[in-house]
Amino acid sequence: MTLLKFLAILAALLGSPIFVVISGLALLSFHSVEINPSVVIIEMSRLADTPLLLSLPLFIFAGTMLAESNTSKRLLNLTHALLGWMPGGLAVISLMVCAVFTAFTGASGVTIFAVGGLLLPALLQDNYSEKFSLGLLTSSGSLGLLFPPSLPLILYGVVAETRVDQLFLAGILPGLLMLTLLGGYSMVAGRGIKKERPKNSAATIFRAIREAAWELPLPVIVLGGIYGGFFVAGEAAAVTALYVLIVELGIYRDVSLRQLPAIMVKSMVLFGGILVVLAASMATTNFLVDQEVPTRLFELIRQYISSKYTFLLLLNVFLLIVGSMLDIFSALVLVVPLIIPIATAYDVDLIHLGIIFLTNLQIGYCTPPVGLNLFLASYRFEKPVAQLYVATLPFLALLLITLAIITYYPPLSLFLVNAAG
Amino acid sequence: MRILPDGSRTFFSRCGQWCVWLEELFLCLLLTAMIGLACVQILLRVLYNSGFMWADPLLRHMVLWAGLFGAAAATRHGKHIAIDVASFLLPQKVQPWLRVAINLFAAVVCGFLTHAAILFVSEEAAYGGRALLSIPSWVLNLAFPLAFALICGRFLFRAIAEAVAIATAARPFPPERR
Repeated sequence: MTLLKFLAILAALLGSPIFVVISGLALLSFHSVEINPSVVIIEMSRLADTPLLLSLPLFIFAGTMLAESNTSKRLLNLTHALLGWMPGGLAVISLMVCAVFTAFTGASGVTIFAVGGLLLPALLQDNYSEKFSLGLLTSSGSLGLLFPPSLPLILYGVVAETRVDQLFLAGILPGLLMLTLLGGYSMVAGRGIKKERPKNSAATIFRAIREAAWELPLPVIVLGGIYGGFFVAGEAAAVTALYVLIVELGIYRDVSLRQLPAIMVKSMVLFGGILVVLAASMATTNFLVDQEVPTRLFELIRQYISSKYTFLLLLNVFLLIVGSMLDIFSALVLVVPLIIPIATAYDVDLIHLGIIFLTNLQIGYCTPPVGLNLFLASYRFEKPVAQLYVATLPFLALLLITLAIITYYPPLSLFLVNAAG
Repeated sequence: MRILPDGSRTFFSRCGQWCVWLEELFLCLLLTAMIGLACVQILLRVLYNSGFMWADPLLRHMVLWAGLFGAAAATRHGKHIAIDVASFLLPQKVQPWLRVAINLFAAVVCGFLTHAAILFVSEEAAYGGRALLSIPSWVLNLAFPLAFALICGRFLFRAIAEAVAIATAARPFPPERR
């Protein structure tokens, strides 16, 4: 039995689909304690009791629509018209565009492919060094995970059974801190660059705003809808999906009716990939909780660590490693259920824990040697991975500073939540 | 003059295409229905302070169906979430064999999942009640055996296709083993 489980984990490392490995482990585990295998499916079917789940496919569809249309170009034009005059302006613009784009499309590599491809030539043309530009774009490929309505935030809400409207609020200040630090660094780095920075006329700004006018209300729909008390997260996703559908199909006509089925299928493929991992982990984690694994883990850890802050430090190190090996969705559904009982025992707030999780996993994306963003960027920009390791280092350092602040200063995450009541 | 094999081959590939077409149509309809139904619910609530009692549970089951059949489509596209380190680290020569093994492994696990799902659904059929809109609960859960069987079949098909590709490529030098 142990040999079979070992083989399953080996299969995962060799590239088997994660959901296959996890459900295989679940089947084996239940078999080993002589429980009917249908329990695995019963656990999976419990997903039908989660109202929040509806928001995943609908936000994924909205994100895929935005990624397939010219939203990124319009967004870039607009921020360029507004912020192009600043020192390091283009770098700051890149950060903001990446953040907004990732918040809406999820961290599925779309940002590096769609936005990064537009921004790299622009940055190089503005005389930013290649090293700086590559590092910036690679590390911003997952920037914005903390902003609503990012899919990992929702998934954390599903798995941890916390309120997603509170999670949305909690991510805002830490996300802004991250943007500010990276933006500040970019302004310092862009200070020496000599370039004419013509002030944009009011007419240019106005034109850019008018071009993006239909997409600008999107954050307002999501946030205003939820916090104005008009609808819950699942409904906000439905409204967003319908709105994006009408705008991109009917008003901008970036997507033709003929292309629509392919986009719909593409987004359902993306959702299906996430859902089966989630379903499989429902069974496995239930087994582990049943066998009191988290409790025993906690007993073990408590022998060595008594302080909450040492525990958080250990958690950070652990999550950074997990984040550089696994994609964010598998990491969330596998690790969160095991950590939550332990974190609760150490008196960590679950909303705060969510922000810590996502920050770690975001950084894990660009951590050498196997962070996913590094490979995506290497593929997209046709540069060797080793060059990207070096290029991302300064950004990685800044992100780690943010992580430390987020971890050890909970009010940053919880201030808005408490203020909203 | 290979009329028969060719004829049967086009017949099977046409069947396959129909399946894919049906599956994609099903996914598109589900997604459209989810968006539509959720928006209608909001409208009804805002305008008339009412709504369909069955809409929310139905939506949640539709999410499951969409996800499971989306996963079946993901299998066809080779788009499942996986740790992708081996393809960078292992030599090119080993990779086709590795893919056969991985797809075979996945097919076996999904076979067991299908078995578990059939057990679950037949238990539901025997003891379960009617969930909503007087649809029996086992019908709502049919998505599990159907989707897992489809996924299992596709992994098996991929494994065979990879093996055939290796065999045809390696025919000049047949591997002499055993």
